[in-house]
Amino acid sequence: MTDCDVDRAIMSHCYNNYYMVQSTTQYCGYMVSPHHDTTMTRPQITIDGRDELTDTLGISRSDVGERPTLSELRRTVETETDPEFASMGEAIRDDLSGELDAELLASELAAFEEQIARLPEIRDAGIPDGEKEPEALYREVIQPAWRLYDHLVETGFFESLEERLPRFTPDHIERTAHELVRLDALGDELGDLGFDERERTVLVMNVVNNNTRLARWVPTKEIPSDVEFDVEHVPPLHKRAMGGALLWINSMDVHLWQKEVLVTEEILDDGYWDVKAMLAGVDLIARAALDIAEGGAMSDSQLVAALTGGAAIAIVNQEEICKDVYWITEEMRAPSPAR
Amino acid sequence: MAIEEDRAVKAAQDTVVRETDQGYRVLGSPEESVTHQHDTDRIPRKDITEEDIIDSADDPEAWLTYGGNYEQHRCTTADVITPENVGDLELEYELHVGAESSMEGTPLVVPGDPPVMYQSNGPNHVKAIDTRSGDVLWSYTYAVPSDVVLCCDDNNRGVAILDDKVFMTTLDSGVVALNRYTGEEEWYTGTADHESGYSATWAPVVYDGKVFTGSAGGEYGVRGFHVALDAETGDEVWRTMTSPDEEWVGDSIEQSCATNWMTATIDTENEKLYMPVGNPGPDFDGSVRPGPNRNSAGTLCLDMQTGEREWFHQESPHDVWDYDSAAPRLLIPDFEMEHRDFEGDAVVSFGKTAWGYTLDADTGELLNRSEPGVQQLNMFRMIPHIDEGRRMPFMPGAMGGNDWQPPAYNPELGLAYFKMNNSPQEAWWRFEEYEEGKKYWGGILEDEIDQPPEGYNDHISAVGAIDPETGQLVWRDWIDSDAYIWGGLLTTESGVVFGGTQNGDVIAWDGETGDRLWEYSTGETAISGSPMSWYDPETEKQYVAIQVGGSGWLRRGTAGRDDRLCVFSLEA
Repeated sequence: MTDCDVDRAIMSHCYNNYYMVQSTTQYCGYMVSPHHDTTMTRPQITIDGRDELTDTLGISRSDVGERPTLSELRRTVETETDPEFASMGEAIRDDLSGELDAELLASELAAFEEQIARLPEIRDAGIPDGEKEPEALYREVIQPAWRLYDHLVETGFFESLEERLPRFTPDHIERTAHELVRLDALGDELGDLGFDERERTVLVMNVVNNNTRLARWVPTKEIPSDVEFDVEHVPPLHKRAMGGALLWINSMDVHLWQKEVLVTEEILDDGYWDVKAMLAGVDLIARAALDIAEGGAMSDSQLVAALTGGAAIAIVNQEEICKDVYWITEEMRAPSPAR
Repeated sequence: MAIEEDRAVKAAQDTVVRETDQGYRVLGSPEESVTHQHDTDRIPRKDITEEDIIDSADDPEAWLTYGGNYEQHRCTTADVITPENVGDLELEYELHVGAESSMEGTPLVVPGDPPVMYQSNGPNHVKAIDTRSGDVLWSYTYAVPSDVVLCCDDNNRGVAILDDKVFMTTLDSGVVALNRYTGEEEWYTGTADHESGYSATWAPVVYDGKVFTGSAGGEYGVRGFHVALDAETGDEVWRTMTSPDEEWVGDSIEQSCATNWMTATIDTENEKLYMPVGNPGPDFDGSVRPGPNRNSAGTLCLDMQTGEREWFHQESPHDVWDYDSAAPRLLIPDFEMEHRDFEGDAVVSFGKTAWGYTLDADTGELLNRSEPGVQQLNMFRMIPHIDEGRRMPFMPGAMGGNDWQPPAYNPELGLAYFKMNNSPQEAWWRFEEYEEGKKYWGGILEDEIDQPPEGYNDHISAVGAIDPETGQLVWRDWIDSDAYIWGGLLTTESGVVFGGTQNGDVIAWDGETGDRLWEYSTGETAISGSPMSWYDPETEKQYVAIQVGGSGWLRRGTAGRDDRLCVFSLEA
């Protein structure tokens, strides 16, 4: 468990006194929101999280408020384009522009974004109905996303990214953050899908403040720099990010339905945000793919930021949904009426 | 003929088990399998039918399948032994089976004159024994290839019988059928390539003319499956991979593990199989297998005729603690759960997570999750990456909770009995390359830790009872030792629970209260076997048999090797 995990646990589960308090530092940017009519855990921006974010972005804490919005960050972060990112983005475009089906991507992305807008109603439905098996709630939301994913798999999209993009080093993640903040796909466009300012900032923090954690999803420092891993049996990183996120969401219906006796409103609320955040990551990757196919408006460096940032958001929130929804401890569970 | 002159025993004795970096290796096995016949004419020529096996659930004279009945209750209807008189139980005889190797099995007993026991142990050694005299009637040792790799010793947990045959899984991931009367080989079927890391250690189960057997190799990056073989010929009838492709990302499915390495429970009424499924692969690095890794660490229900998947209930999603859910499932027909307004068949599972799960057998829906059987400290907390330089002991450790130890169920008392470990371990994850046939853990597991988690009660293991309806922990008896607890339990319908301990003790508990009613010390070596029982109308005695001897995976010193089969008795 990272410090971040502990903090999340402290903030969201402090009432149950389960997790041992090891640190009071806050990195993740989560806390129990007082402005909801339940004890719903919502993404929040903590002071420590803000500090780490501003430090990484190289901006003064005094230039932004205690709870900086994405708009504030965009105004203050330097606007210089990272030439290495631009070069990587260009190589990816060259690699994939003839391979991707713009029409398919556009129509499925539109369908997917319609489904993202339905998330509040999925949350309101709570636990799927069903006598013998659960009805499809979460699975329906991601149907278009599976079609996007399948197309990306078929076209070699993920292998191309694996070849063209560097590994998830802390440095790469931090540089991604600069570009990510300025990305329209994360800003206004996610706003149109129901992500408020705070949520969008938290998504950036997901990336920036978890750089070390994200870096571990690939071979690490134990291996000398001149040694190449045989990763033949490991799916490409971005495929694991997108595919993994979809698998978590895909199994929500059966998980909640089978475990109904354990599930609480807090678990459902936490899961709502984790799912929403993963969908944002998937959306960023899909938008980047469409931009390649259409020769769209993203700069080459922004393209890399969307791909890396989208994958990072998908990964970080996979790790969150384990703890929030799937690993239901004795303290988290709904009380049993029989004991 | 003395057992010293038994060629099959000699072959088993000549076989050496070595612990290596890649796990256990079996060396010096015979080039060809060996059968040695003694007095095979003494075995009554009466084939065992499926009806006999079904009826054996209520037959005090029989123990015809691994779990005592197809529902795996490990409950005998023999009623000589009761809580009131179990204190008079005495050792009838000790039989040295001749091969000092892993002793994790449950013998079977076929009623007759005399009743004949089929007893197996590592390395793939099986005997037919006259239960009255202890005489060996035939013995057999399978020729285990020397390149087999085993995570956890050369275990063999028992055999299955049907008609005139005995079926035994083999360490090289196969099934061998022997003539039950002569010990001669009838057929052999390999179910997977042992050079890829597959193996087989459990007792198979037979029903509807099929031998049902699973897969092991969850520490070697294999892909788990369950397979049905024709009991007469060994031909494959169907095969189902435990994890479907669509629930894993890309090629990660190829090393998904999720092996089914203990005996399936048979639902004869609804023609379903309920089977335990182990950890996803690699054990500790979840980053290369994103998603919940459904169909790992839980219960899989398959259609018996087709192998088609019915449902899966997961106990440790995206597991990174090696929380297999390996113990055989208890099927409880016509189960009532008032507080859920439920009436129907239920499946009860005890896994390494230390909870007992009561499931709707029809749908896989969780009806009830029990109180923990042992301590859960730092449970379900992400293990550290190796670069973090951080330690996080967690409980249950990777041994569980309830590892493979078969639980028991007493329908009269409505209680399920478990054996669980209560010991912290530490693990770290890291990226590891996959290499076929080599260990693929994706991390490190540390058994000896510097500092246990705060709140640890220092009891290493426990035997206990849970009410599957309410989930209440009804009683628990802590078992202290330097070693882990292993082996399964037996219950009598009259309310006595039997089990062996890692301290060499055989104990009888009052099934209702957990009070110890009788204890017998077999010595200092651990008991890894699971007890069973039968009644012999000729001698008018009820017997309890248990294999004595350690197992490699027990570690922590006191396990030790032994080769005894202890048979206790009480006269009616």
